[in-house]
Amino acid sequence: MSGPSIVRTQILPVDRPFKFESGGILPRIEIAYETYGRLSEHKDNAILIEHALSGDAHAAFYHEGDKKPGWWDCMVGSGKAFDTDRYFVICSNILGGCKGTTGPASINPDTGKPFGLTFPPVSVRDMVEAQRILLKSFQIEKLKCIAGGSMGGMQAMQFFCDYPSQFESFISIASAIKHSAQQIAFNEVGRRAVMADPRWNDGNYYDGIAPEGGLSVARMIGHITYISEKMMQEKFGRLKKDRDSRAIFRPSFEVEHYLDYQGISFVKRFDANSYLYITNAVDNFDLMASISAKERFRGQGRERGMNIGELRSKKGLVISFTSDWLYPSSQSKDIVRLFTALNVQVSYTDIATEHGHDAFLTDYEKPSEIIRGFLASLG
Amino acid sequence: MYKIPAQNFPIIEEWVAPGSRVLDLGCGDGSLLDTLITRKKVDGIGVEISHEMILQCIQKGICVYQADIDKDLSEWADSSFDYVILNSTLQVITRPYSVINEMLRVGDFAIISISNFGYIRNRIRVLSQGKVSSRIRLSESWHDTPVLRFVSLKEFRSSLKEIGVEIIDARYFFPMNMTTRTPGPAYNLLAREGIFKLRRIQ
Repeated sequence: MSGPSIVRTQILPVDRPFKFESGGILPRIEIAYETYGRLSEHKDNAILIEHALSGDAHAAFYHEGDKKPGWWDCMVGSGKAFDTDRYFVICSNILGGCKGTTGPASINPDTGKPFGLTFPPVSVRDMVEAQRILLKSFQIEKLKCIAGGSMGGMQAMQFFCDYPSQFESFISIASAIKHSAQQIAFNEVGRRAVMADPRWNDGNYYDGIAPEGGLSVARMIGHITYISEKMMQEKFGRLKKDRDSRAIFRPSFEVEHYLDYQGISFVKRFDANSYLYITNAVDNFDLMASISAKERFRGQGRERGMNIGELRSKKGLVISFTSDWLYPSSQSKDIVRLFTALNVQVSYTDIATEHGHDAFLTDYEKPSEIIRGFLASLG
Repeated sequence: MYKIPAQNFPIIEEWVAPGSRVLDLGCGDGSLLDTLITRKKVDGIGVEISHEMILQCIQKGICVYQADIDKDLSEWADSSFDYVILNSTLQVITRPYSVINEMLRVGDFAIISISNFGYIRNRIRVLSQGKVSSRIRLSESWHDTPVLRFVSLKEFRSSLKEIGVEIIDARYFFPMNMTTRTPGPAYNLLAREGIFKLRRIQ
C-alpha cells in the first residue's frame, strides 16, 4: 500500500481578455485547477468536477503536509465513484472565487490593488466559460461526464446545455435549475450580514481586517440550511458545552459552538466579496431562461448554444436527498423534467438520508454506487 | 421482491411499435425495457421505488426514475408516451383506478398484466385450506405480501368498462402453456393470468 496521494493546485494563466456575460472585461485571468488520474491516449476518459459555493480546485487527494484531503475525496479516487484508475478527473476553482482563480480579491493590474467591487458581476455561465478555456488547454474535445453538487450541479447543467457536443453525460446532485424565493432569501440574509459589518467598507477591506463578523454569520446561516432538522437535533439536541458560562450570551449550547466553529473556520479561508459575488451568481442562475434567451450569445462564448439538438440521446443522472430542504427533491424533479423535454436520457434517484443538503459531501455510499454504475454504463 | 414474469415479454414486444416511447411502471431490474430497447429500439423510461432495483437499471444503462406509482404519475404531461406498461404490479397498488386513469393520460395505450384470483387453484385453496395467499406467485403470508388487491380477470374486465377503458388486445394464460386471445367460456375459472392492451374509449 502506497502512502496518500499527493496533489498540487496548478495555475493556468490566460493572457487574453475575458468577456463576462454582464459586459465587463478583464484583460487577463488565472484559473486554479487540479487533476487526478491519467488522461488516456485518446483523451476520452476525462470527467470535469464542479465545486459548490465554498469549494475549490482541491477536490481530492492531499496537499503536501495536510492532514485533511480535498472536499470530495470520498467520491474521487482509486476505486471510488469517480474512479481515478479509470478516469482523468479535473476540478478548477470558479471564476469570482478566492482559491487561486481570479476573483474580487485578486490584484487589478491597472491599479495594483485588489478589485473589490470593481470586479465585474459573475454568472454561472462565466464560470463555465473560464473552465472551457481550461479544457482547451488540455486539448480534450469530449468529456465522459461533467458532474457537481449544489452550485456545482448548476455549472454542470449550464456547461452541458451550452456545449452539448463536449460531453457524453452530466450528473447533478442536490441542485436546481433556478433558485426558489426561499433560497434567494437565505442568500440575501447572508449577504446583508456581510454588508452590515462596518469592516466590509463597500468591499474595500483588503488593507485592514476583513468583515469577519458578518461573513461568519452568513456562514452560520448557511450551515443551518445544510443539514436536516432531525440531524441537527440528534447531533446537538440541547447539550451544553460549558455549563458555568461566566458571561451571558456567550455560546454555551453545543449547536452554538458548532455554528461558531463553522463561521470562524470559514472566514479564515474565504473572501467576503467572493461570497457576495458567488451567491449573487447562483441566485440569478436560471437555466431555462439562459438557454433560450437571445442574450445567450453575450460574453465569452460565441459558439455557445449552437447545437442544442445534440443533447438528444445524451445521458444524465439526477440525484436528490430526501431530507434536503435547501435544494428539495422537487427541484431535482424539475431538472429531470427539463432535460427529458430536451430529449436527454435522464435517470433520477431520491436517496434516503438524514444528512440534508450536506449529504452530497458526507453521505457518499449510495450516491457512489449509483454514480459508478452510471459511468460504467457509458462504456 | 415480487418477480416480474418474463412470460409476458414476447407479448409486450409484439404489442409495442418499433421506435415508440415507453414508460414501464415498476420496472424492477429493467430487463423488460432492456429487451424492448434492444429489439424494438424504443425510447424507454422505467419507474421504480427501490434503490437496489434503480441501481441495477442504471448499471444496465436503462433510464430510470425513482417514484411512487401511486402518487407521482402526475409529474408527466399528457401523452408523453405511446405505451405505459404495468407488468404484474397492479395488485400491489393502493389506488388502481387512479393509476389506470393516469396511465392512459400520460400514455396513448396501457399494457397491464394481472394474475387471476378467480383461477381454480386459488378458489380451491381458499375453500379447502381457508388460505388467501398462495405460496407460488404471492408472497409467503398475508402480512408480508406486497399484494394488496385480490382481483379476478372477470372483475378486472368489468371495471375497465366502468372507467371508460376498452380492451384492444389480450392474452389469457391457461395451464400447460396454453395462451388464447379471447377469454373463452370459463376463463375466470381456468386462466391463471391475463395481459391486456388498453385504450381509453374514444
